[in-house]
Amino acid sequence: MEEAQWIQGELEKLFKESRDYKQKALILALKEHIAEQSNRIEQMQGELDGSLWSPRKWNE
Amino acid sequence: MKTLLLISHPEIEDSGSQQYLLQSLPSSAAITVRHLDTLYSDGKIDREKEQAMLLAHDRILFQFPFYWYSTPSLLKKWQDEVLTEDFAYGKQKNLTGKEFGLVISVGIKETEYQAGGREGFTVNELVAPLRALANKLDMQYVKPLIIYQFHYLSERDRMRLLIKYQQYLTRQHPDSLKKREDWLVEQVQETNRTTISTEGWFILEQALSIVEDHRLAIDELAMLLDAEGEDY
Repeated sequence: MEEAQWIQGELEKLFKESRDYKQKALILALKEHIAEQSNRIEQMQGELDGSLWSPRKWNE
Repeated sequence: MKTLLLISHPEIEDSGSQQYLLQSLPSSAAITVRHLDTLYSDGKIDREKEQAMLLAHDRILFQFPFYWYSTPSLLKKWQDEVLTEDFAYGKQKNLTGKEFGLVISVGIKETEYQAGGREGFTVNELVAPLRALANKLDMQYVKPLIIYQFHYLSERDRMRLLIKYQQYLTRQHPDSLKKREDWLVEQVQETNRTTISTEGWFILEQALSIVEDHRLAIDELAMLLDAEGEDY
């Protein structure tokens, strides 16, 4: 996840540097997509931790 | 996937949102753009030509400003004259299985389009006749792309719209994180290298590799959660 945070800063710099409007939009989308993936992973890990503690799963 | 974009706007030159969308069109993809008001300024629609265009494409999109909760009049006329019996419905249904979607620009803010808001109904409720049309013609209705108050969007929100619009025109439907991801990766790989420094390109390569690592992690978690096939 540290790597994901590092890339956020780097993509923001690249976004500001780019002079091509459509490319800027693409860089922004890539940056936000990585953040969305990170959130999704965190949510799924939370869900997995929760399900391990669920009594429904104890007999499986 | 060949997309036919039928635009109806009587004053397209003066419309900030329509001009922005036209500039945002992806250059590489197979998209046919037809501005009906330019093609048929005399109001005489060439039915055979329009039907041939429909047959030659897989995804049909209407792009228009929301006028009295509906399409501009020329687009309604187009529906009346082009989607005829035994071409679109009846004995022959030539549009069966094609995708049908809407790109609608709306001048009033989204929160007014709901029960209790000033407009009282959602845009999705108001476009029910177009959904019914897709239903009757056995077309696959794609969730519309609705743009509220374009002129108030920040520059970054406009860029987000640009990507959403490009995706709407070219990406597989229905929407999912994975499909957005595949589309994005392909676009980054194809982006113009001459407008980006070597270091910049290195960053993009790194970013793509992180996207890939994340995808592996998501797929593995989905397997553990027994949630394969869900929107991950």
